[in-house]
Amino acid sequence: MCLKSNEPVWGVTDLRLAFPQKKDMFFKDLSFNYQKGEKILFLGPSGCGKSTLLQVLSGLIPKSVPLPVHTEKLSIPKSWGFIFQDPDTQFCMPYVDEEIAFVLENRRIDPKKMPGLIHDYLKLTGLDFSDPHRLIRTLSGGMKQRLAIASVLALEPEVLFLDEPTALLDPDGTEQLWETVRRISKGRTLLIVEHKISRILDLVARIVLFDPDGRILADGPKDQVLEQYRDELDAYGIWHPDAWPAYERRRPVPIRRQKHEEPILDLKNFSVYHGRTKCFTVPELHLYRGEWVAVIGKNGAGKSTMVEGIRSLVRHEGIMHWYLDHKEEDVSFVFQNPEYQFVTDKVEDELGFSLKLNKLPVSEIEKLVTRSLEQFALTQQRTTHPYQLSVGQKRRLSVAASLIDRPQAVILDEPTFGQDARNTFALLDLFQSLVDGGTTVIMVTHEMEIVRRFATRVLTVADGRLIGDSRVPASGRGEETENGSRYHRHQ
Amino acid sequence: MDPVITDTSKLFFKVNPSLKLICFAFLFILYLSVQNLNTMIWTTVAFSIVTLWANGLPRKWSVGFFLMTFIVSFFSASAMILYGKGSHVLFQWFLIRTTEESLARGIQLGLRTFVFGLLGVLFASTTPPVPFFYSLMQQLKVPVRYAYGCLAAFRMLPMMAEELGHIRQAMKVRGMSRQKGLRAFYERFLHYALGILVQSIRRAQRTAVAMEAKRFSMKEKRTFYYQIGWSRKDLIFLSVMTVTVVSGFLLSRWIPLTPYTNVIDGY
Repeated sequence: MCLKSNEPVWGVTDLRLAFPQKKDMFFKDLSFNYQKGEKILFLGPSGCGKSTLLQVLSGLIPKSVPLPVHTEKLSIPKSWGFIFQDPDTQFCMPYVDEEIAFVLENRRIDPKKMPGLIHDYLKLTGLDFSDPHRLIRTLSGGMKQRLAIASVLALEPEVLFLDEPTALLDPDGTEQLWETVRRISKGRTLLIVEHKISRILDLVARIVLFDPDGRILADGPKDQVLEQYRDELDAYGIWHPDAWPAYERRRPVPIRRQKHEEPILDLKNFSVYHGRTKCFTVPELHLYRGEWVAVIGKNGAGKSTMVEGIRSLVRHEGIMHWYLDHKEEDVSFVFQNPEYQFVTDKVEDELGFSLKLNKLPVSEIEKLVTRSLEQFALTQQRTTHPYQLSVGQKRRLSVAASLIDRPQAVILDEPTFGQDARNTFALLDLFQSLVDGGTTVIMVTHEMEIVRRFATRVLTVADGRLIGDSRVPASGRGEETENGSRYHRHQ
Repeated sequence: MDPVITDTSKLFFKVNPSLKLICFAFLFILYLSVQNLNTMIWTTVAFSIVTLWANGLPRKWSVGFFLMTFIVSFFSASAMILYGKGSHVLFQWFLIRTTEESLARGIQLGLRTFVFGLLGVLFASTTPPVPFFYSLMQQLKVPVRYAYGCLAAFRMLPMMAEELGHIRQAMKVRGMSRQKGLRAFYERFLHYALGILVQSIRRAQRTAVAMEAKRFSMKEKRTFYYQIGWSRKDLIFLSVMTVTVVSGFLLSRWIPLTPYTNVIDGY
């Protein structure tokens, strides 16, 4: 790219960097430069070093994250702000105002000026609290990320680094976050790492595309890069605007929708409790074998509570009847954070764990584990500790481990959350094959594309109640609501 | 303590936290050296009244804490009561041998534990973490890295509690709780510990980087959002504490309830 000469140029020349316990240097003489006012998007497969480069460009590596780094030339902007991925670990104070004050204290601002400034920064990010002395942990993920922006704005930064700020946000939160970034981006330089790019393409002008080995594959105006490297975007699992249509074109078998008549679960006057508060109630609900049930609704509506209730993970009342012989083994549950459910030190033990519990012969376990490793592309990681896997591999392992003893029903709490496009599509293919085989898939999700393309039944939850129960007809595509006698619609 | 459940309008909330800390630390040392059972009895009465009046907890909670403190004190007393040395035997059964002297010593020990417990409840329930650490930095010149480090750690406690719940559920789903026996229990414990530890270390690392990204410096000077200073409330607090302590000593002299004025010697 040609750079205008009168503006300061920041960046790095001939960067080399070493990760602990890796033989080779990461980045082989990588150079990247940018200048004031540019809005740049970094794209690439997970693990390609985009985030690492962002931390080098801000000076966090090696100053705060000590890694061996070698550069010919490195120029870091005088004032910058960094927004991280995880909304929960960016703050050190319990209250909203205190968190922004923390930054102002670091800048040695007079305490008398602080309340006014705190108010201004919150207003800029659309967090108009009448009283900013409010507990951070009561905010939603999207609000937390906007607070992170507000506290970073208190640094009066020229350059903003955003490292996948929406990876752990739901669609509403994502929308609000980008809206905020758009509002404050005027006159500021933005460097963004992101997988879900549909919502920010209008915000950026330049795209830098990395290959899996951390080399810059392309660097140029966004339209040009998106046009020329479409196949790479698909291969790297980036959520570009055409990702879903492209997936549909690649799918060999069209989605089949069967009739579902054999019941698997009956609920009657069913309520779920967290502690003593009733968090979800449903007067009546029947689920059938082979259904793909999507549970949708806003954050905090009670979706997770509902599925935790039907798997008896939390206290519940009322009638719940599974048409199964061994409820404990035949209904598996996949948690949002896969790490919680890992119980052993090796991937293969993890897969064999429930089989061993059920006292299967060793040879049989061995056979099933090997097959499952192949099916989920984890053969290479056979003896790795589950915690050391990548995000996608962890998710695959958690799903594989809960499917290995062939449950009749699988409950998944946002299984595609934070996954790149490639992982998501692989998981969806798998769930579809389960449904084809007669397994019931019950899935909490925010992703409406999944609901639209895969679900045969859509349950809508709001304020702890089931407010919608619609069934997608066997032949049709879109959603239609049936008010038949067997599919109750609850108001 | 979590400000959500406390009543922050109480007097002790407005006392300078450093003063409160030093005062309570002094009381700990003071009561370690008291060997007079009568003094301990009257002190217990006095501090019970002060704690009931001044703690920041809702009534239900404060009664709960009272009971808990009492049970802990009872246990700390029981060993001394049951196995202590002494010449006036009150009760003997196999290894258990209770004497008048050991009974007095045990009660003395139990009451001391009880008073310490009350002081702890009183301090914890009236001191929110943020003003406490700000005061430590401003009055006692505690280095900022420790103060903000502790504050960041405080934020993680509710997250860890939530995490524990998730792990418990996951164990249940994976059939971990179906395994019985000591070994299974050990493995389960190990698993909880590892899970929480891994997540906490990761979170701590991320928070540390985020704090430095916000230009937190351990060495440079900084300003403070909250100015923790002194007020008339501090004088009232000191007077209340003085009256409580002195009344314990005076009442023990005026109305001695037991003959044990020195439990170590036996009299």
